[in-house]
Amino acid sequence: MNTQEYISSGIVESYVLGLASEEERREFEKMCNQHPEVLAARNAFEIALENQAMQNAIAPSADIKNKIFDTISSSAKIVSIAEAPVKKINWFKYAAVASVILLAGSLLWNVSLMNKNQDLKNNYESSVAKLSELEKDFNVLQQNPNVKMASMKGMEASPKSFATVYWDTTSHDVYLLMNNLPKPASDKQYQLWAFLDGQPIDMGLIEISDKPLQLYQLKKAQAAQAFAITLENKGRPDVSKPEGTVYVLGNL
Amino acid sequence: MNLKSTYSEQELVALLQERNEKAFGYLYDNYSGAIFGIINSIVTDKDIANDVLQNVFINIWRKIESYDASKGRLFTWMLNIARNASIDEIRSKGFRQSQKNQSLNDNVDFPGASIGPVTEDVGLKKVLANLKSEWRVLVDMSYFQGFTHEEISKILDIPLGTVKTRIRSALSQLRTMIQP
Repeated sequence: MNTQEYISSGIVESYVLGLASEEERREFEKMCNQHPEVLAARNAFEIALENQAMQNAIAPSADIKNKIFDTISSSAKIVSIAEAPVKKINWFKYAAVASVILLAGSLLWNVSLMNKNQDLKNNYESSVAKLSELEKDFNVLQQNPNVKMASMKGMEASPKSFATVYWDTTSHDVYLLMNNLPKPASDKQYQLWAFLDGQPIDMGLIEISDKPLQLYQLKKAQAAQAFAITLENKGRPDVSKPEGTVYVLGNL
Repeated sequence: MNLKSTYSEQELVALLQERNEKAFGYLYDNYSGAIFGIINSIVTDKDIANDVLQNVFINIWRKIESYDASKGRLFTWMLNIARNASIDEIRSKGFRQSQKNQSLNDNVDFPGASIGPVTEDVGLKKVLANLKSEWRVLVDMSYFQGFTHEEISKILDIPLGTVKTRIRSALSQLRTMIQP
């Protein structure tokens, strides 16, 4: 088959109209590359087909164009992100920078954690030291046969509260352990009282410490039958008489 | 302002591949009618043909990267997308059912029969009407209904070789008819 016969065999139309088999298509494309007249025949038929189609155009519904543009406009954004290799590279750069920052941050954080850890360790050690001092104090108080203890139970204002008073009958020293008392409002203050023959004796205002299990040393008591703690207003002129609510109360 | 009213095919393809919506609007304005004509020659229902046209242009927009100018003109590429979409549509279950509901008297068993004295032939189909009837049926089944040569051979009970040579002859005849 010579080139002219090939051209007039119907393969040109078959190819252009999409009716050629895969094998025929490959052969035809090869022929187009090798023989300009085959390519020219293809081009001529394509133009004829296009002209023919243009002459027989039918107007579609008017709303179709808008529908198409609505669809492509919304999908174009997705495409532009997905098909932007430059942005992908940038993303990796950012990721790399971010990872370095994270690493640096992590190292700093580690150092700061180490410092904090050291602080905590120091605190813990000092706490243990204080606690053992406290224990010694308690042991002294509790093992001393001269020390009397008064467990003060919560009253109506604060039933769950309790506190302990240690009173050395020989030295007359008074120690108070605030086992469980609510933190007073900033304008309030606890006050310890000793009771002798039903009369309250001021044992001192208690400056609440944030530390737990703090042992407070208060005024010396010459004699006492009971102890109590009241919650009083700060800065009242006469502190010798209780005015506030009783929180805890206990006999010796 | 860059308000061009015409583009060369190369320019148009380059702009479309850059996702230029204005160029796509130009493409639609210039070619939608011709493409719609082809769709109508395969899908006879106007509403369905409009849906097919919509999908065809969306596919043109999405697949423009795959267009290879060395293998043919842009219009040929679009035409084949339109033809394939139209044939997919008439072969879909939904379309066949809607056609059955519309006209039960059609010769469903013999697809070639639809070529008969059709009143509204347009475009290529109109050209087809000038072909010898034995060729016409083959081209109609092959091009407008998407049957393979093997299927046509079975349906019409004609040897495969004969189907191939007749379609080729018919197509080469077609060219002389549409070329001025």
